[in-house]
Amino acid sequence: MLVLTRKLGESIVIDGRITVKIVRVDGETVKVGIEAPADVPIHREEIYLEIQQSNHAALTHGRPAVPRLAHKSELCPPAKLRLVTVSPVELTSK
Amino acid sequence: MKTAESTTLEPVPVRDENVLRLPLGLLGFERFKRYALLSRPEEAPFLWLQVIDQPNLAFVVVSPTAVAANYEPEISDEDVRFLELRTPEDAMVFNIVTLHGSHHATVNLKGPVLVNRRTLVGKQIVPLNAAALSVCQPISVTA
Repeated sequence: MLVLTRKLGESIVIDGRITVKIVRVDGETVKVGIEAPADVPIHREEIYLEIQQSNHAALTHGRPAVPRLAHKSELCPPAKLRLVTVSPVELTSK
Repeated sequence: MKTAESTTLEPVPVRDENVLRLPLGLLGFERFKRYALLSRPEEAPFLWLQVIDQPNLAFVVVSPTAVAANYEPEISDEDVRFLELRTPEDAMVFNIVTLHGSHHATVNLKGPVLVNRRTLVGKQIVPLNAAALSVCQPISVTA
């Protein structure tokens, strides 16, 4: 693993298109700002691994029988989403 | 059951309007970018996302409103821009289901798949409130 030392406010440029900036240092917590093109997915590692493992467990080979819902509602209302504006992407890591 | 005998999916006519494009794939399956959304009335509300490039592989998905009350993922503006959502109603929401035999199933609320219903481009997103969402919430099912 490449290890670089950075000071607060300094950045690392990856592949000429991704910038990782040290935004805040507070004890054991480092706040990192990342600027990357939209086609570069950025995730906290533990959440990425959790969803990746869930996806692997969910993959079916062929089409096994699907169970029935115990309480089936005839009408499914549209899902609720909350669109939130925050920028830039900031990932806090301990 | 993941047996060799069950590996053949029925040949389903894949029509353009059923094809969802996930340019980033699913987490852990980044190489699979095109999925057919398939349904059989007797399996409702469950649907299938079939991997077009490998049709023997598929995921069971469900609309969260069928299985999770009060589910409200918060979508970051990066994801809103990526999906070109103008309003929440622009998005179809699917949550991936894991079958544990015929009597037990769980749903992943932490990594919903959002699809823009106009462009049919989708992404498995991590909501801003992911920490409060379960990756394997039990669904109440009968055999």
